[in-house]
Amino acid sequence: MQVAILSLSSCLGCQMVFLNLEEYFYAFIGDNRIAYAPLLMDHREMPNVDLALVEGTARNAGHFLKVREVREKAERVVALGTCACFGGVQGLANRFSEESLLEGRFGTETIEGAPQGVRRLLPLDSYIRVDAYLPGCPPSPELLRDFLQLLLTGSTPVREGSTVCAECTVVSPQLPQPGPRRITEAAPPTGICLLDAGFLCMGPLTRDGCGALCPSTMGVPCRGCRGPSSRVLTDPSLDMEEETARRISRATGTKREDVKAAIKDPVHTHYLFTLAEPILRRRRRGGTAPYLYRLGERGSGR
Amino acid sequence: MTELVIDPITRIFGNASLRVDMEESGRARVRFQAYGYRGLERIVRGAHLENLLPVVSRICGVDSLFHQVAASLAVEKALGLEVSSNLRDLRNLALWAQFFERHAISLFVHGLPDLLFPASDPGLRNLVSIYRVDEEVVRRLLGLKSLGTTVLREVAGAAVHPMNFRPAGAARDVSQEVRRGLLERLNGARPLLAETARLVKLILRRNEELVNQAGDAPTAYLALKGQSGMEIEGASPALLGPEAPHPALLSMEELPGKLREENSPSSHVRYAGLEGVDRLKVGPLARLNVNGRYGSPWADEELEELKAQWGFPVHRCLLGHALRMLEMIHAWERMMALLQGPPLEDIHAEVRPAAGRAAAMLEAPEGSLVYILEVSEEGLVERLSVFSPLQFNLRSLEKSLSEVSAALGGTEREGKAEDLLQMVIRAYAPCIPCGVH
Ligand code: SF4
Ligand code: SF4
Ligand code: SF4
Repeated sequence: MQVAILSLSSCLGCQMVFLNLEEYFYAFIGDNRIAYAPLLMDHREMPNVDLALVEGTARNAGHFLKVREVREKAERVVALGTCACFGGVQGLANRFSEESLLEGRFGTETIEGAPQGVRRLLPLDSYIRVDAYLPGCPPSPELLRDFLQLLLTGSTPVREGSTVCAECTVVSPQLPQPGPRRITEAAPPTGICLLDAGFLCMGPLTRDGCGALCPSTMGVPCRGCRGPSSRVLTDPSLDMEEETARRISRATGTKREDVKAAIKDPVHTHYLFTLAEPILRRRRRGGTAPYLYRLGERGSGR
Repeated sequence: MTELVIDPITRIFGNASLRVDMEESGRARVRFQAYGYRGLERIVRGAHLENLLPVVSRICGVDSLFHQVAASLAVEKALGLEVSSNLRDLRNLALWAQFFERHAISLFVHGLPDLLFPASDPGLRNLVSIYRVDEEVVRRLLGLKSLGTTVLREVAGAAVHPMNFRPAGAARDVSQEVRRGLLERLNGARPLLAETARLVKLILRRNEELVNQAGDAPTAYLALKGQSGMEIEGASPALLGPEAPHPALLSMEELPGKLREENSPSSHVRYAGLEGVDRLKVGPLARLNVNGRYGSPWADEELEELKAQWGFPVHRCLLGHALRMLEMIHAWERMMALLQGPPLEDIHAEVRPAAGRAAAMLEAPEGSLVYILEVSEEGLVERLSVFSPLQFNLRSLEKSLSEVSAALGGTEREGKAEDLLQMVIRAYAPCIPCGVH
């Protein structure tokens, strides 16, 4: 297959994972023709390809033109990583206008050649049709490998989209527990549910797939880097902030309003990776189901 | 009149382009263009310190831990927190691993293919094409990269945007069993590292003409100066003037007052510099010229050979690749030493909300990374300023490119100029996401 790998506005972290695929990396570059990948090779122009892996999303008109070009030239387009799928951390800039953002950094001077900025940062599929999504900031090497393996067979990976809790191996402590608490203030206990222990774990609202790496393996709360679970995306009345406050309130015996008041940075805490995701504010045209169907990395048979 | 456009510049970290205009006078006007300001310094305002590291990490997926640790150090200083030496050792182990990994990519994926096959079509000078003709060599080179990746993943929890660390704390230590495994792997890679170092020396010697062509103007150099050699953390900033015999130490307290930042006319990467300093470099050349040695036996032994061959101080930018190789050896030695340490306890300090302001500086792979952080009484981020290595290097890089273009003087075929200019850029190993942030 002819493959293009490119980044728009991104941190390059997802492409770093591509370099971390070990054995599979060699198989991939051996079996396919990498026809465009500025990080690795010297092509100036992107040719027509079978598959384009796009990291990041559009921050300005230059990115927008690139996105259009990719759609025209690629048979299938993949949104690689949470920036491309949901906007990612950079989407938090949507709290500010483009003008104030640029003025805060560059003053009123014009920067020659700078492409027009976008008014709002949006996920990749706000601009073009996306054929498959692999969220994760970044997705783990294992997820990326499985995903690519499936894509190369010609099938489109799909996933039901359960939650990180479903993969988490912790046990529940006796309630109530102190909280809400932050990991900078108290070292979280190991092996018990961090949310029940009063910490702000986003596991119940976040897509599964990472194997609950943060809470299960590292003993730190899930920050939500895989993006919203299918339930969050399909239930228009589910508010992530309310939902977490409800759970913490139950765990700590603190009133829900007091929990909310204690979290001084609600946007960073609840929407760190998803503020730019329009589905959290308005549903996609044509319904959510076809979109959800493509939001994953496993074969439908698995 | 535009003489030369390279768009995109390839085999670097991130998206950028280059325009070179030759003026009547023979001077070349160079514009290194990178756009797409994401506003991460602004985004992080108002975040609780728990969310500080996850945000700044996303400035750069290549050097994510350097951003995390720079932010942590600034918090610790701002709030006057005592951090155990155990925590510092654990963090530094992970930093050296990322340092090693990043250098391996800059060298083997980006810079070295040009010097391995300088006469071949640039389109073939990359690991993917080389893999088609010689799998083994690519596996060996990337095997070194994955050594750094493995140590990083084990110590920090993930190789990209790791989650083990928080300001003044870590979630977990590395078990003795894992330590033993990593030591074994590092030890096993020693011959490969030695052989690769020989290869790098050899190909630089073979390309002496290119090394001399690619720019050698002495500049001022900024880096951390350790007690007994190169450090990436926990040392004083020092500035070596272009003519000065010795570096002058700067205190972390005075550094913010001396930092200067201004817009580039044609890029979202802003120039950073120091008051009264015209042309500055950070990175491998600066670290060596400021410190004079690495401070670990193997790296210093190799250094003697390099000094005998190329002289000291080192100004020629293409030699940055040779120094990256020596720094990888130094990083290997530091990882070995840190992994042999005892099990670490006491790796969490409580961070109580308090107001404060402080600056911190690290040696990221590409050069000095400075964070200036203000925390509010509620323990939220009030303000953050990030000065990244590319910002410090940008003026020097543009001047090097301009000098090289002028020296080529339009007599060279476009392909040759394009080729050499990109080699110069890769010798600086710029990171665009860090520069733009
Ligand atoms: S999804 Fe995360 S790792 Fe990937 S480019 Fe965006 S910020 Fe970087
Ligand atoms: S620790 Fe987090 S992810 Fe695990 S079960 Fe509890 S809430 Fe869910
Ligand atoms: S546990 Fe949460 S934050 Fe951690 S990797 Fe999984 S989805 Fe991302």
